[in-house]
Amino acid sequence: MKSSLSSKRVARRGGTCAFVWYLVVGALLLIPFDIFALVVNYSTERNTSLRECDDFLYRGQQLDAQRCYSLLLRGDIDVRLKAEAAWSLGDLKLANSYFQASIKQYPGDPDVRVRWGYLFHITHQDNEASSLFQEALDLEANHAGAKLGLAKVSAGRFGTRARTWVEEVLTQDDEALEAYLLLARMELEDGSIDDADELLSKALAIADLQNFPPLEIYALKASVDLLRGVTDSPWTSLGLEFNPIYGEIYATPAHFYVITRRYREAISLLQQAVDLQPDLWSAHAELGINLLRVNRIVEAQTHLATAYEGDPFSAKIVNTLRLIDSFENFQVIQVDAPRSDLSSGSGVIMRLNNEEAEVLQSYVHDLVQRSIEVFSQRYGFNLVEPVVVELYPEHDDFAVRTSGLPGIGLLGFTFGYLVAMDSPSGRGDGDYHWGTTLWHEMAHVFTLEATNHLVPRWYSEGISVFEEWSTGPLPGRHIPLVVMDAIREGKLLPTAELDSGFIRPTYEDQVIVSYMQAGLICQYIEARWGQDGLVTLLRLFGEGQSTPDAIVNAFSLTPEVFDVGFKEFLDSELAPVINGFAGWQAHTQEAYQAAEREDWPRALEAAEQAIALYPEYVGEGNPHTLKAKAHEALDETEEITTALQSYWQLGGHDPIVLTKLSQLLYSSRLYKEAISVLSDVIYIAPLEEGLHVQLGDWLLQDARPERALQEYKALLAMDSYDRAASHFRLAQAYHALEDVPKTREHLLYALEIAPHYRDAQQLLLEVVH
Amino acid sequence: MAFAFGMGTPMKGLTAFVLSIAIGASIAHAEFYYLIVGGIGGESRYEEIFSEQTQSLAQVAEQTFGDDLRLSLIYGEEATKAALESKLQHLAESTSASDSLAVFLVGHGSYDGEQYKFNLTGPDISGDELLELVNAVPVGEKLLVNTSSASGALVGQWTGKDRTLITATKSGGERNATRFGEHWVASLTSEEADVNKNGIITAEEAFRYTEAKVAGSFESEGTLATEHAQIEGDASGHFIVARLRPRKSETPKIQLLRDESQELEKQINELRMKREGMGTDSYLNALQELLLELALVQRQIDEEQSVQ
Repeated sequence: MKSSLSSKRVARRGGTCAFVWYLVVGALLLIPFDIFALVVNYSTERNTSLRECDDFLYRGQQLDAQRCYSLLLRGDIDVRLKAEAAWSLGDLKLANSYFQASIKQYPGDPDVRVRWGYLFHITHQDNEASSLFQEALDLEANHAGAKLGLAKVSAGRFGTRARTWVEEVLTQDDEALEAYLLLARMELEDGSIDDADELLSKALAIADLQNFPPLEIYALKASVDLLRGVTDSPWTSLGLEFNPIYGEIYATPAHFYVITRRYREAISLLQQAVDLQPDLWSAHAELGINLLRVNRIVEAQTHLATAYEGDPFSAKIVNTLRLIDSFENFQVIQVDAPRSDLSSGSGVIMRLNNEEAEVLQSYVHDLVQRSIEVFSQRYGFNLVEPVVVELYPEHDDFAVRTSGLPGIGLLGFTFGYLVAMDSPSGRGDGDYHWGTTLWHEMAHVFTLEATNHLVPRWYSEGISVFEEWSTGPLPGRHIPLVVMDAIREGKLLPTAELDSGFIRPTYEDQVIVSYMQAGLICQYIEARWGQDGLVTLLRLFGEGQSTPDAIVNAFSLTPEVFDVGFKEFLDSELAPVINGFAGWQAHTQEAYQAAEREDWPRALEAAEQAIALYPEYVGEGNPHTLKAKAHEALDETEEITTALQSYWQLGGHDPIVLTKLSQLLYSSRLYKEAISVLSDVIYIAPLEEGLHVQLGDWLLQDARPERALQEYKALLAMDSYDRAASHFRLAQAYHALEDVPKTREHLLYALEIAPHYRDAQQLLLEVVH
Repeated sequence: MAFAFGMGTPMKGLTAFVLSIAIGASIAHAEFYYLIVGGIGGESRYEEIFSEQTQSLAQVAEQTFGDDLRLSLIYGEEATKAALESKLQHLAESTSASDSLAVFLVGHGSYDGEQYKFNLTGPDISGDELLELVNAVPVGEKLLVNTSSASGALVGQWTGKDRTLITATKSGGERNATRFGEHWVASLTSEEADVNKNGIITAEEAFRYTEAKVAGSFESEGTLATEHAQIEGDASGHFIVARLRPRKSETPKIQLLRDESQELEKQINELRMKREGMGTDSYLNALQELLLELALVQRQIDEEQSVQ
């Protein structure tokens, strides 16, 4: 599948970002364009002639507006007005050159720099925009337009500085309408609907008073209604009365559907937006990206290509189109649900890279199917559509899939029935437990779909983390050390405000702290009210209740009292660890230092002291593996196995350590245990050839040929070095399953490569002679 | 001539198979001479590694040929330029054209942009000096395996009929300590390396296995490979570097059976060449018939050998 992008399309790798922007800037200087999205100018000082033309534009009278701006442009007017007229006509190249001329002519005028900055901002060049806004502030320290420009750039990145800029502007001028609009938008993004509504009412009064077009206010008011569950908003009608082709009246509310992960509804609104205003490129782009999120790839490509034609400046559009092109390197594998009962789901569709599809598909499918059965039962909800699971070997492809831009730190993302995540080969650190990530994302599928995507972010993440710990392929509760620090320092948020920890973090690591807090809250609910408590809360969210209301209705507690209970739970669960944390750190450090100087008795003693204080920690620099190393140095073989077993049972998953443990267990004739340990390595390093050989051989010896077959099929799919042996292993497994035709087939393939292969010869004689 | 090792997987077995046909003839008439040289390590870690590798190579040679009569081994302090020259001069005097020689160099090498040197105790030996000494040995087939860093500097310097050169690196510019030696040694006792499962590891099989393992080790670490092994020469497919099972003597009856076996292998090979024009079922049926016959002949050979 190819899109219609030209060779101007930019690279998508993180390392080529500079190249991306270089091309975008180049394009701005070279290509003229149609009219961009309508941007209302709220300056009271805007030139009267421009305002007259603006009025046509705001009312949707495009031809009149065009005629008006054209006349103005042809007249003998100030170069700054020419820049504005050219911009309004959509000739960005001309506008850009007039702004350059304006700067030369009026170097001390901060307004020119601010307006030029906005031109860069709408063409997605925020770094250049920020520089110009900053230059304007250097010329006039309190320039409201410059501050709002910086606020918009920051808000677009979900930055915390945005609010500071806006508040500064409102302190200077409490009638700055644009500041109210920006603040209202941020409040809506944070879920503070009432506050947003109040700000919009103030904005509306100011617009009335100063005779500004209320279009953007109407669109945001419609968004308020939408977030309150009112889909047929009167503000939409008012907006369309004012300007019958104002597509943003649908596209703006759609944005709030998107950020609350209600993609199907967003698609519907965005479709209305582009139907109403076919040249609303931003809506085409958003529509394309959201269609992709529900696996409607062909339609997505069409809208993105349309968006690109109108707005070739957007790296997000370009990157997403390139991603769609790259789908030709992926296999789509559909597996129907195994049984007719609803709890087994509606099937699984996997989109896996050609180079690893054959190896990974059975493991991915097994885990997805198991998660569907577990979560259906635990949450009383049955999936009604097939789940689409995409695994990306290139992390930046995954990043583009989720955000349109490379460089994000996530491992997986769920858009409802579609899960996208890094493939096991997508991260080279050897610590990526893809099985846990997939389990986490599958829990999202359930929490999102069971609530029609109304579940708040914190609860969806909380359930996913809780299920990772409770039912996932990696046992145990894993809390990073930075989170322990945050708990000790009292940095946790009230439950009712926990969403903000994900959306607008105020300190480094707050996102991961919020994930863990959410998981711990779910643990608390389960401990106090059982699984029913979790299900009830999910149901109430599905009814559209807010976090405070849902807590009250589910548990008959105020959010404040609920938080007090959570704090007590946290104390009972983690206080011993938190209180002994400094000691744990000291003992662990001492253990490693002793190991460094090969003082193994001391290393062992210190490691044991550390483990006693915080046994659950199995991450990097843990004392468990050091303890095993000390036992090894002291020739205490049985103790090595015991130490590593504890590490494994607590969720330790270093593939080298687990492989070693499995071998120790196997040599102690603990075959089933060895197989269990080695099977876990598949969730970390499924592309290691030796793993499949060893595991398959052990399974076959343990009379489990069906499972051995899975390993040997993976081995063959890896194009292993010794293909004759791979075919022979498959033949052995089929032989154990009494499948003579398959046994014969693989024996012949083995002997075709290696005619003298004695074992294969003997089996062939036995099977067919 | 460099081998084209980029062939698709099905060809892996075919190449090894075709070349393995010549093994019987070689076994019957040639005496194999092995020279293993463990160079200076420079630091204790490498001293230990090189010592282990040279001794492992020596063990494999003994197992392969049943004794150490034609094996020369020098390493550590004894591995001087003079000792190496002496060993090669002795081989030049005691071998003939019907014999074969394999030289294994384990250690560090260096390259200054003009000249390759293999590091020995005392003065090093240059690439030119080494090749001249090896050339003076009048054996028929020669194999030189150089596992040292910068050994690729020799590529293109030692070509000719019956000569096989294997180096750990592609040029003198790849100067990092290599992993090649470790995997080469492993290949000589590996069932996995024995792609055609005839119990014999040829130079080609050992090279291919080592090359794959070295590449895999860099890949699994997520680091750029600092060495790229090379092979030159057209005799590597039948140059035996190790036997996985002890060699047994041949009786006239066994020899007849081997002739029969070779004929069947030839027919199998011809069938494989026709595969594209045949349906899968027909091909597999025909293949099965030949493979069954071969299996029965092989069984007879094994039975004959077991009563000896």
